[in-house]
Amino acid sequence: MFDQVLFFFNALLQQTGAANFTWGNLVMIIIGGTMIYLAIAKHYEPLLLIGIGFSCIVANVPGPPDVPGGPPVSALLYVVKEGGLFHYAYEGVAKLIIPPLIFLGVGAMTDFGPMIANPKLVILGAGAHLGIFVALILAKLVGFTISEAGAIGIIGGADGPMAIFVTVKLAPHLLGPISVAAYSYMALMPMIQPPVMKMLTTPAERRIEMAQIRKVSKLEKIIFPAVIAIIVNLFFPPVAPLITMLMLGNLLKEVGVTERLAKTAGGPLMNMIIMILTVAIGSTMAADKFLTWDTILIVGLGLLAFLFGTASGVVTAKIMNLFLRNKINPLIGSAGIASVPIAARVSHIVANQANPHNHLIFHAMGPNLAGVFGTAISGGIMLALLGVQ
Amino acid sequence: MIPDTVYGAILLSVIDFFLSFLVISGIGFVLALFPYLNQLGTIDEKKLREGGH
Repeated sequence: MFDQVLFFFNALLQQTGAANFTWGNLVMIIIGGTMIYLAIAKHYEPLLLIGIGFSCIVANVPGPPDVPGGPPVSALLYVVKEGGLFHYAYEGVAKLIIPPLIFLGVGAMTDFGPMIANPKLVILGAGAHLGIFVALILAKLVGFTISEAGAIGIIGGADGPMAIFVTVKLAPHLLGPISVAAYSYMALMPMIQPPVMKMLTTPAERRIEMAQIRKVSKLEKIIFPAVIAIIVNLFFPPVAPLITMLMLGNLLKEVGVTERLAKTAGGPLMNMIIMILTVAIGSTMAADKFLTWDTILIVGLGLLAFLFGTASGVVTAKIMNLFLRNKINPLIGSAGIASVPIAARVSHIVANQANPHNHLIFHAMGPNLAGVFGTAISGGIMLALLGVQ
Repeated sequence: MIPDTVYGAILLSVIDFFLSFLVISGIGFVLALFPYLNQLGTIDEKKLREGGH
């Protein structure tokens, strides 16, 4: 009788996920929980980290095997198998539906005035992208193919949708770890960037106050999206879908007669996309897929890309200061890494700590926005050189 | 086009980094011309908003 009860309990256990729970699942659940903690307690990009953290936890709760004796199906259930909501979220990312929609929303929320007003700072959008190439070369050195290395390098562009876009084109099998690394580091930029920024600047440099920039007219703001869309479609067709949508969103905002559309693109649509995107990214974090040597390398290289990108942006700003009569605060250089508006906010906060009267956010937004184009241009050139359409 | 070697990765990086600087400088140059657009006239934002919907 007791043996029979034990047998039935054992059989029941095998029908649950508990029998398939691994230490890897536990590690990933802790990582997911840490993300949620950072979002709630430290306010580190809660819009991103809550969804990623939660779906990471869920993706690491194993279910029973699909077939007796087979592997547990948590990752399969949520990512690969049709029918699960996470599957469709993931497909939206993998089929490149989500990234252009994110750019549409970002465009509808963004004022490109700071970038138009101070064109010389646009150069920082390229200067802060050394990290892409450091990570690319290191990735090749540790054994990735050149396409994989390119996709890993683009993490350093600190532009999530662009990282997804380039990865799907170059190395779709690495979409999970690369998107996780890109979005996690973007969310953790307030922790990653300041030590590098402080290391490379003197207190006097951090205290530099910049002159107020000119007011940009409505006419300039309306013409800007069309001009950029023409340039990008003409010279960088591989990344044109993203930048074109960014510019369309911005045009909807600036023309003034499509307020409803701009509000929808930058509000409810963007919110829905964020929920889908974070679920899609977090659901790729199942332990059996994520806790691999390649993923650890990608995460490490991604961190190096962010560090070098931040450093090269600050150094580029310092080099510019050698030639400028009105000195710029080198802290705005790190904003050239993209990740709008997180990097600009970090520049502002670090400058504000050194000089409480210094409000750098508007100045930092210029290079920050230029960084979006810098990443797109780097990605476009990379795709073209690697022969990818 | 680019060989799948470390040399290829360095080549890709150098070309990409250099071209990125060049192109973004070009965008900067175009933006520097933007103030001249204002010589074409001004847009009344209030009228613009009233005209829609």
